Amino acid sequence: MRPTGSQTSLREANRALTVEAVRRHGGITQVELAGATGLSPATVSNIVKELTAAGTLAVSYAVRNGRRAVQVTLARGNGLVVGMHVGTRHLRIALADPSSSIVAEHHMPLAPDHYADASLDRAAFLLDDLLDRVGADSGEVRGIGIAVPAPIDPETGHTAVPGLMRGWDGVDIAHAVQQRVGCPASAGNDATLAGVAEAHTGVARGIPNVLYLRASHGIGGVVVRGGTPQIGRRGAGGEIGHVSIDPDGPLCRCGNRGCLESFVGAAALTAQLPAAYSHLNYADIISEASAGDPLCGRIVADAGRHIGLALASANNLLDVDLIVVGGELAETRELLLSPVRHSFERNAFGAVGSAPAVVAGELGVRAPLHGAIGLAVSALAI
Amino acid sequence: MTPTTPVLEMTGISKRFGAVQALTDVNLTVHAGEVVGLVGDNGAGKSTLINIISGVHSFDEGTIAVSGERVSFSSPQAAQRAGIATVFQDLSLCDNLDVVANLFLGQEFLMGGVLDEVAMEKKSWDLLRSLSAKIPSVRIPIAALSGGQRQTVAIARSLLGSPALVMLDEPTAALGVAQTAEVLNLIERLREQKLGVLLVSHSMADVQAVCDRIHVLRLGKDAGDFDGANTSTETLISAITGASDNVVSQRAAKNSLAGTERTPS
Repeated sequence: MRPTGSQTSLREANRALTVEAVRRHGGITQVELAGATGLSPATVSNIVKELTAAGTLAVSYAVRNGRRAVQVTLARGNGLVVGMHVGTRHLRIALADPSSSIVAEHHMPLAPDHYADASLDRAAFLLDDLLDRVGADSGEVRGIGIAVPAPIDPETGHTAVPGLMRGWDGVDIAHAVQQRVGCPASAGNDATLAGVAEAHTGVARGIPNVLYLRASHGIGGVVVRGGTPQIGRRGAGGEIGHVSIDPDGPLCRCGNRGCLESFVGAAALTAQLPAAYSHLNYADIISEASAGDPLCGRIVADAGRHIGLALASANNLLDVDLIVVGGELAETRELLLSPVRHSFERNAFGAVGSAPAVVAGELGVRAPLHGAIGLAVSALAI
Repeated sequence: MTPTTPVLEMTGISKRFGAVQALTDVNLTVHAGEVVGLVGDNGAGKSTLINIISGVHSFDEGTIAVSGERVSFSSPQAAQRAGIATVFQDLSLCDNLDVVANLFLGQEFLMGGVLDEVAMEKKSWDLLRSLSAKIPSVRIPIAALSGGQRQTVAIARSLLGSPALVMLDEPTAALGVAQTAEVLNLIERLREQKLGVLLVSHSMADVQAVCDRIHVLRLGKDAGDFDGANTSTETLISAITGASDNVVSQRAAKNSLAGTERTPS
């Protein structure tokens, strides 16, 4: 498994392996690190020494099984922030230092219609566990950012459109988190935060006008202008998933007809599966398509065609510099993106020759998590 | 990708203990790469059904097919040989032995009559890494591990015989939230490895989080088979408690049936 090659590249690979193992465990003793990476204790000891000197890792002394042990964690600056992404079917929560680098992370699958109280209680327990793993106490947490798959009304803190997240209607999300954890919290739409993260640290770094589309269980989007998301009056700006591409199309969960989401959301994609494929779920469609299954590939390609059409209409209004597509569906890369480009160029105004590039996001499915961390960090700065 | 034969197909299973009719005409199917939840109230017959699948109990009527072949287990060992791995609620681990010893208990690798510790340790790491398990060391006694890590070791051990179906009995019942998260992630890994998984649990949140289908038992009978992604908690609870099984719904079902085919009532 270990790569072969020059001494230098071997050392690089071993360092990466070590850092990855520490990140996965949060905190781990040096002896255990040798087992977890498969490297010899001497090599681990050297790597830990080097990386501690370089400021990547931090060591402290602990007692395990009655023996003195060196506890290794990722180095962190003063104070911690928490990023939380409560997705449609997943909960991701991460501890990061104020420079936004993640020191420990948890992931948990969620039921399809989860409720705010139960999910946030679980998140609070997971946060406790994360703090425990890196040996920090809750007083060190200075802010929390929460990403949810629905627009948040900036005035009330509730979801701006009731019914999108049934179990979360009428809940002031930031306030509910603040009550559980006892430190300042702010909440935002996951697509918005993902778009901002891509514009700040991802593929759209330094680009002034960016249109971001997140193709996940639901479809969301945002326009980021000069690093600032344009969320509109009620926080529902950029909802490209609810742009109608066919007025006679299927009903959408928002109550309208023919929304982009009713064609390319998770429910729409799995509903297309024939009986022989009916045991596949949304994640399977993505992995089977990537593995070369023609039928799943076709479902993804058709989704790309619809997305390109909606992006074309949006860009006719906005004329942006770059279009970024993220979310689970974009994990299929060119299978999705080349039909998106094709349909975008066919439908956009004056697109030939001067169309903005359409690219996949760099931060992948964890973009909203990075965005939530960014939200917490920016709240600190104010 | 072609339609597959189910890894487990039970049809018309009935079981009686003396005067108690524990199971009546139960049908259950699990495909490869599918997680099926088995839920029901206390006394609904979940444990009896699991015991039948794992070869602990015999059954009176019906058929069981594993990967398309009709089977009838005389012992738990026979079920294991047929490719059914069961992780019972008590996990059956030895607290004083380390992870490697527990994984290979009774099936140790030997080299010239002595234990091949190196090969076993290697295999242990391979197995645990394939499950993305967070076990810090394979040489610490089970007693030093958390509840979630113990569950991970028990599940890893069940995978040593390369089973087709893994049955988990209340894997999250005694765990905290962080450990529950670990076990749920582990179930997703099993699904990715194209194993069939049968998950028995009382926690609706956990079952709904990972299951493709949810099979409800009530008073020893099938009370419905629901799509995991599109079924609300309320629907499941009403199937479990029988709230959806009343005179009005029975009449509605009978009327709709009469509309499509003639059945003597």
